[in-house]
Amino acid sequence: MESTRVRTAGLLLVWAGVAAILLMHWMVVFWVPTEAAQGVVQRIFYVHVPGAWTTFLAFGIVALASAAYLWLEDERADAAAVAAAEGGLIFGAIMLISGPLWGRVAWGTYWTWEPRLTLTLLLWFTYLGYFLVRGSVADPRRGKRFAAVVAIVGSLNIPLIHVSVSWFRSLHPGPVVIKPEGPTLHPDMLTTLLVSLAGFTMVFLGLFAFRYSIELAARRQARAEDAALAGGLA
Amino acid sequence: MTELRWTWLIARKDLNLEFRAGGRLLSMIAFVVLAGFLFGFALDKGQVPGRAVVASLTWLTVLFASTAGAGRIFDTEEEDGAFRHVLLTPVSRRAVFLGKTVANLALTWLITALSFIALTSFLGVRTSGSLAAHAAIFLPGTIGLSATATFFGRMSRHSNLGDSLLPVLTFPLLAPLVFFGATASARVFMALPWDEISSLVRLLWAFAIGSVAVGAVLFHHVTDE
Amino acid sequence: MTLEGRGIVCDYGPVRALAGVDLRAAGREILAIVGPNGAGKTTLLKVLSGERRPDHGEVTLNGTRVSGSDAAWRARIGLVSHRTGLYEKLTAIENLRFFAALHGLRRNGRKLTATLEAVGAGDLAGRRVETLSRGQRQRVALARSILHDPEILFLDEPFTGLDPEGAAGLEHALTARRHDGAVVVLVTHDLRRGLRLADRVVVLRRGRKVFDGEAAEDGAAEILDHFTAGAEAP
Repeated sequence: MESTRVRTAGLLLVWAGVAAILLMHWMVVFWVPTEAAQGVVQRIFYVHVPGAWTTFLAFGIVALASAAYLWLEDERADAAAVAAAEGGLIFGAIMLISGPLWGRVAWGTYWTWEPRLTLTLLLWFTYLGYFLVRGSVADPRRGKRFAAVVAIVGSLNIPLIHVSVSWFRSLHPGPVVIKPEGPTLHPDMLTTLLVSLAGFTMVFLGLFAFRYSIELAARRQARAEDAALAGGLA
Repeated sequence: MTELRWTWLIARKDLNLEFRAGGRLLSMIAFVVLAGFLFGFALDKGQVPGRAVVASLTWLTVLFASTAGAGRIFDTEEEDGAFRHVLLTPVSRRAVFLGKTVANLALTWLITALSFIALTSFLGVRTSGSLAAHAAIFLPGTIGLSATATFFGRMSRHSNLGDSLLPVLTFPLLAPLVFFGATASARVFMALPWDEISSLVRLLWAFAIGSVAVGAVLFHHVTDE
Repeated sequence: MTLEGRGIVCDYGPVRALAGVDLRAAGREILAIVGPNGAGKTTLLKVLSGERRPDHGEVTLNGTRVSGSDAAWRARIGLVSHRTGLYEKLTAIENLRFFAALHGLRRNGRKLTATLEAVGAGDLAGRRVETLSRGQRQRVALARSILHDPEILFLDEPFTGLDPEGAAGLEHALTARRHDGAVVVLVTHDLRRGLRLADRVVVLRRGRKVFDGEAAEDGAAEILDHFTAGAEAP
């Protein structure tokens, strides 16, 4: 069956990604050189940046799948949006926890109005709204449509949020805004980051495929149970 | 033409109902005046000069008041199921959205004016000579606010979380609007030249036009079954 | 004029509210859709009126597919439901004027008064709806639903809470619409009234059509059997 194949492929991807992340952890602890300016804390960056990247990737999928759902009303598009949104919520949480931890040491404060941090916080709440809307509307079809609208409107707002937060920073420059990426990045650091990015992306895509096929299977199952119930009573 | 006429019909009916019911209007007026009073009362003006915070507080008061009122935009429609019958007439969903946004906008202006007066007077901030600049900032700001509140107010009517859902949905969206608005208003209070404000106002207009356009295009997804 | 539903399937999430219903309603005819609570009557009415898009199947008028998103279709239909759908703070005539304007009828003062008089509510024109009794409101609601001379009139449990006098007035108005050539679709859980008023009866049970035929006296027993069989199920 097709959904079984999707599930197997998803699981394989997850395991490959987990292997890459384990390798990344080994590299972070034993192999990669310590960044001169920030010291050891800079290593959290190998978790933080891929976390952010997958969050944005997830949001992209949610927005596209939601637009497809509104357009075609195809259950598969909605299932894809839900699966990606759940991943986004998790990876967004990773980003939101690791960011301030790094910031506490690097910048001397847990929270700073760093553009990407602020943007992710607002995105994370948009994901939250996505699930709250879905779950709280009596008619499931309407709930799905509302959630899709929330995702689309949320993604349209990203440029404006971005402008507002970069503006804010220019008004109030943070303590020392260090950008670890850029031409100064040590080749070994770049390798570690790439391994981590690959690992996170594979885990996310794997979970996404896995979750997507489960979602479809669960819906089919619920429908079948309802039909059996109706048949038994008729 | 028909669209405009429909929009006007809906807006006029809403305002008519609003003034006849009175209660909601009165409670919102009380809310903004009391909020202004509490801000003035709670702030230690020896530590924090009113001029430094009055812009942010005004924008936040307007944001909270309009979010609190957003769910009720559709209350009169649901009293005895009137909205179903409105949707069954040939009226376009776009016109329904625009009409309700216009009515809501009129109320938001009232609230904005009141909270502006309340906060500047309770915080003892002088506004002489800058009222036109303030109005030029609040105009696009309130349009964006009203359109967003109308759109999500309809959504929250179908949710069993009701009005408690609204802040989760609207605050992330309105964050840039409040930021642009509060920054621009603060610069007027600091008597900065308009050149340093105009780009913020342009962004506010971008938000206003964007939210009205997106709302008009997507509104049928939140009304139709 | 024939309003026809073919193979209508409607789902609320996993729950199948309508499982493939076919029916026809012709002009100069009152079609009653009866059935116990939860049979799918109101959902069927919403599909026929275009308010809810079915998951499968289609609704046609004289062979042309109809859709609730089509303004021209909405101009041709009227609805009376158990909720009056009037604005309480407006007077009866203001309510009528508002809905007439949404239908694009202008300078219609005389027509609105005549419509109110036709449903026996001529003396209520200047009174706010909040001051009217249930029966009076329902009369104004009926006037609102027929002021644009709809070719198809839908009634969703219109007799709920009506006093005998109000019910008699409503029945009179229905038969008058039928006489004018309209299609009248009446949804009710009140089988007796449905049989008395209607020319044809469709009995729904658990989203399925279990009877479809003339509402003649000699067939009443059979219809009753179908009806109560559903009511007894848990």
